[in-house]
Amino acid sequence: MILTLLQRALWLAALVVAQMMVFNHIHFMGYATPLPFVYLVMLFPMGANRSAVMLWGFTCGLLTDIVSLTPGIGAAAMTLAACIQPPLATLMAPKDAVEDLQPSMRTLGFWPYFRYALIITGVFTIAYFALTAFNFFHLRDLAIATAASWALTLAICLLMEALRSR
Amino acid sequence: MRALLEFIAKYYHWAVFTALEVIAITLLLRFNNYQGSVWLTTANTVVGTAQQWHNEAIRFIHLGQVNADLMRRNLRLEQNVEFLQAQLDSVTHDSTAAERLQAQRLRPLDIIPAKVITNSVLRRNNLITINRGRRDGIEPEQGVVSGTGIVGIIYMVSDHFSIVMPLLNSHSSISCALRGTRYFGYLRWDGTDPLFCYLDDIPRHARFRVGDIVETSGNGSIFPRGLFVGRVAAIENSDDGLSYKLRIHLGINFSRLADVAVIRQEFQPEVRELEQKADSAMAR
Repeated sequence: MILTLLQRALWLAALVVAQMMVFNHIHFMGYATPLPFVYLVMLFPMGANRSAVMLWGFTCGLLTDIVSLTPGIGAAAMTLAACIQPPLATLMAPKDAVEDLQPSMRTLGFWPYFRYALIITGVFTIAYFALTAFNFFHLRDLAIATAASWALTLAICLLMEALRSR
Repeated sequence: MRALLEFIAKYYHWAVFTALEVIAITLLLRFNNYQGSVWLTTANTVVGTAQQWHNEAIRFIHLGQVNADLMRRNLRLEQNVEFLQAQLDSVTHDSTAAERLQAQRLRPLDIIPAKVITNSVLRRNNLITINRGRRDGIEPEQGVVSGTGIVGIIYMVSDHFSIVMPLLNSHSSISCALRGTRYFGYLRWDGTDPLFCYLDDIPRHARFRVGDIVETSGNGSIFPRGLFVGRVAAIENSDDGLSYKLRIHLGINFSRLADVAVIRQEFQPEVRELEQKADSAMAR
């Protein structure tokens, strides 16, 4: 239990630092900014307490906001992503899966995990960019930035997951 | 209590979600100048729009009272127009008409506003129910008008409600005249188009045109003279060919009738009593 908590805290710290030091400085083609700290909520097992997942997500988003000077945006988007994670993990898991199955490429297989990551990063990225723009006057630019950042975030999350699942 | 606790235990994560989102959104609006200003502008717009809707709704609710006031004013103005028209006539024609019409104008008129409860225009003998009755001073055979013309005559009365026999009733027959002339006839409905009635018995030598105004003649004690009824839409011959039969476009649209007023003339009961006495004396 303590080990699990410690592991999550380490992931949280690593992702926030990586966001601050590396990913916040990437603006691919002037549009795409990767936001892979959402990977934290993808680590929770299937039967995880939903409130606990949301609290972890909120904390991670808030810390990222503090280091990125975007108060509230990351926290709100991460809470939303964390809210959908437990039912989504249950949906993607095989019917005969154990109760505390941890979603990964190894346990779910590539394509189910890809769909799982696609939905979580999608919900998170759309919420994040909608709150950042806070209007829909430049819908085309907003859509391009969201789609590009979504793709980049998904790619980095899948890469991290591939490395972790080895 | 137990069920409540179970409910809270089952769904408390939604409370956690809401609380966290509220905290996040508060931070967003409080510490981000752009989002804060957009929110403030939007909130002002929404509040302004809601306030505008509220004001419009209040104004709409008060339209009934405004309508009743306008109708009352319209009736007064019609009386004034009639008086002034007659005065004009008196200058050019009759030197005694001014005094006569002055006396007529001073004849006391009491107007009782009422609302239409039920109405119909599709039957041959339509009736209208209004929300005023004997306790409001209404008696049978009083005239009923609206802001755009005469409606009919009180037919039956209970304590709180009255039945009006409107123009759109085959039994209705009201004495009307062509404005500016002394020719009068009886206004009747043929049971077809609710926008038109017929004015019978206009003599062949009468001079008038399509578009001339038809008003109450003042014969009888029900309606005072000069209340607008409608305009001449077409001129036809009567069935026996001895007089004209005028198709009258009514000023009032009965299918949209909502507010009316009952005219109570001070001397009407006295006149009626006298007429009844005269009838019974003649019958003997």
